[in-house]
Amino acid sequence: MQSQSFASRFLTMKREKMAHGWTLAKRNKGCYLFLAPYAILFFTFFILPIGTSIVLSFTYYNILEPPRYIGLQNYINLILQDEVFLTSIKNTFVCAVIVGPVGYILSFLFAWFINELPKWLRAIAVIVFYAPSLGAGVITVFTTLFRADAYGWLNSILIEWGIINAPLMWLLDPRYMLTIVIIVSLWMSMGTGFLSFVAGFQGIDRSMYEAGYVDGVRNRWQELYHITLPSMKPMLLFGAVMSIASSFNISDVPRALCGFPSTDYAARTVVTHLFDYGFVRFEMGYASAVAVILFLAMILSKKAIAALLGRVGT
Amino acid sequence: MSENNTVRSNGTLQLISGKKFRGELVAGEQGAAFYAKGKKEPIAEWHYARMNRMDNIRRGGTSSQVTVILKDDTRYVFELDHGLKLYSQMDKNWVDKPVRAKTRGDILHEQAERLGQKIEVPKKHLITRRHPNRSIGGDIVIYLMLLVVAIAMFFPLFFMIGSALKPLDELLRIPPPIWPSHPTLDNFSDLFVTMGKSFVPFSRYLMNTLFVTVVGTFGHLVVAGMAAFVLAKYEFPGGRMFFGLVTTCLMFSGYVTGIPNYLIMSKLGMVDTYWALILPAFCAPMGLFLMKQFMEGLPTALIEAATIDGASRFRVFWSIVMPNVKPAWLTMIIFSVQSLWNNPATTLIYSEAKKPLVYAMSQIQGQTTTNIARTGEMAAATMIMTMVPILIFIFSQSRILETMASSGIKD
Repeated sequence: MQSQSFASRFLTMKREKMAHGWTLAKRNKGCYLFLAPYAILFFTFFILPIGTSIVLSFTYYNILEPPRYIGLQNYINLILQDEVFLTSIKNTFVCAVIVGPVGYILSFLFAWFINELPKWLRAIAVIVFYAPSLGAGVITVFTTLFRADAYGWLNSILIEWGIINAPLMWLLDPRYMLTIVIIVSLWMSMGTGFLSFVAGFQGIDRSMYEAGYVDGVRNRWQELYHITLPSMKPMLLFGAVMSIASSFNISDVPRALCGFPSTDYAARTVVTHLFDYGFVRFEMGYASAVAVILFLAMILSKKAIAALLGRVGT
Repeated sequence: MSENNTVRSNGTLQLISGKKFRGELVAGEQGAAFYAKGKKEPIAEWHYARMNRMDNIRRGGTSSQVTVILKDDTRYVFELDHGLKLYSQMDKNWVDKPVRAKTRGDILHEQAERLGQKIEVPKKHLITRRHPNRSIGGDIVIYLMLLVVAIAMFFPLFFMIGSALKPLDELLRIPPPIWPSHPTLDNFSDLFVTMGKSFVPFSRYLMNTLFVTVVGTFGHLVVAGMAAFVLAKYEFPGGRMFFGLVTTCLMFSGYVTGIPNYLIMSKLGMVDTYWALILPAFCAPMGLFLMKQFMEGLPTALIEAATIDGASRFRVFWSIVMPNVKPAWLTMIIFSVQSLWNNPATTLIYSEAKKPLVYAMSQIQGQTTTNIARTGEMAAATMIMTMVPILIFIFSQSRILETMASSGIKD
C-alpha cells in the first residue's frame, strides 16, 4: 500500500512536471525558433556524425558496398588482433597522461606567474606563451630543428659540443619519436585553457586576498590553495576539458613530424590510426569503432576530472 | 563631497561593453562622480575604498571596483555606490586624462606645514612589495623561470622567422645560424615565383580563404548569437540539456568525426564546395559557449524593460543584446577566423581552384621538406601562415581576455 502510494505520487509528480514543462515550452515557443538554425546545423554536423559513428562501428562498410551488420566484430578485432591499434592506444595514453596533466598544470602555473607581472609585460608574456598554439603551420619548424642530417639545428649543436659524433635520426628513430612528439605537443599546449586561466586570475575579487592576509594566509602557496583555486573552479574545469581535447586528439604533430605512417608505427596515435583506416583504407566501420572508443575515453576522463575538481581547495 | 579639495577633469568613461561616455570626473576627498556631457545627475559615483595597499587591482577587476591611476602613479580604488542606477552590473573604467587629486598624505603634509611641524618621510624601498603575501626571493625565482620558459617558447618561432630571412648560403651553413647575418627577402620572392608557376594563381587561394573565413564567421556570429541569447536568458525545456551537449562536443576534434562528416557532406552534395567548410563553422561549439556565458552577465532588467515596451524578441536580440556584447563578438570572431584560416579541409575539397591557402601552402611545404635549399621558402610559407593569426591575436588580446574574465566561464 505504502509503495503503491509512493509510486502513484511519483507518477503524478512526473506528470505535473511534464505539464509544467509543456506550458513553459509553449510560453517560450519563440525560443525554439531562435535556437533552430544553430540546433539544426549542430545536429547535422556534430550529433549526427557521432550517432553515425556509433551505428557504423557495428558494421563492415567500405563506401562501395552498403554497410553490413557484423555485431561486435570490429571491437573484437581492434582489441584482440590489431597490434598497431594497441601501439596507438599506448602512445595516445602516454601522450595524454603526460601532455594532458603536465600541459594543464603548466598552463595554470604560468598563467598565475604572468598575472603578477606589470600590465605591459603581462600582455607580451601572454602573446609569447599563447602564440605557439595558434598556427598549425608552426609544427614544420620542428622538422628543420630536428632534421636527420647535420643541417638540423639540434644535430649540429650536439656535434659542435661533442656530445654525439654522427647526426641522429630524431624523427625516424622509434627511440626518440614519441619523446619529440610529446615535447612539441607540450610546447603547443598553452591554448584556450591557458587564456581562460589568465582571464580568470584577473577576475578574482582582490579584497579576498586582503581578507586572507588578515586571516593569516602567509605565503603565495597558501593563498593559491585557499583563495585562488576555489574561485577559479569554472575555469579549471573548462581548461581541463580543453586539455583533454587537445591531448586525446594529438595527430597533427606526429603526422607532420614523423611522417604518416611513421617508422614502426612508433608515433601512431588513436586519431592517426582512425585517419588511416577511414581515409586511406576506407574501412569506415572499423574506423568508426576507433572513434567510439575515443569518445568514451574522453567523456570518462572529463567525468573523472570534474569529480576530482569538485574536491579542490576546500 | 567637500568643495575645497575637489578636482575636475574631462575625459571618457568606458563601460565594459565598449560604450563610452564623454564627460567630467569630479574627484573629492571621499569619492568621485562622473557627469556625462549635458547631464545634471552623475551617471556613476564611487567612494575611495582604500588607497595604495590595494593598488594591484587593475582594469577588469571585480564588478564593484574601479581603479583610477593618477599622474604621480598613485592609484585610487573606487567602489561603486549602491544607489547607482544605470549599468550597475558592469565595470566602469576611467580611460584617458589622469586626474590629480589630493591624497590623504598630501593633506596631512599641508596641515603639518601650516603648523610648522617636520614630518618624517618614510624611506622608499628599492623593491616595493606590490602584494602582501609575496617574498622577494620567490618573486625573483619565478621571474627567472618565466624568462627561461618564455625564451624556450619563443625560440622555434624566432628560428622560423630567422630561416625565412636567410639567404641561400646561410641556409647551407653548418651549424645553422639562428639569426641570419645578412637578412634578405629572397625566400618570399622565391615563394611567389613557385606559387606563380602553380596551376592556380596565388590570389585564387587567398580569395578562397577570405571568402570562407568572412562568410563562415559572419554566419557563426548570427546563428550562434541567436542560440546563445535564448539559452542564456530564457528558461525552456531542453535548453540546459542542449547546452550540455554543446559543451561535451567542445572536446571532439574534426578528425574524430571526420569520416561520418564526409559521408553526410556527400549525401548533402556539399563535398568539394565551400559550404563543406562554411556550414560546420556556423555551429562551432566554442563560440556558442563563450557567447552564452557572456550574455548571462547582461542585466535581465534590460531585456525585460524592452519586452514590456513592446519590442519583439528579434528586436531585443538585435538592437539591445548584440550591441551590449561587442567584446564577446570580437572574441568569437577571432576564434572563428583562426579555425577557418587554419582549416586545410584536405578531405572535403579536392578541386585545385577551391583549395584554401593553408592547403596550397602545405603542398609547397610537402615538396620542400626533403630539399635543404628550399627550407627557406618553406619557412617563408610557414611564416605567412602563422603570422596572420598571431597578429590578429596581438591586436585583440585585451578584449579577448576581458570577455573570458567577465563571462566567468562556467560549466
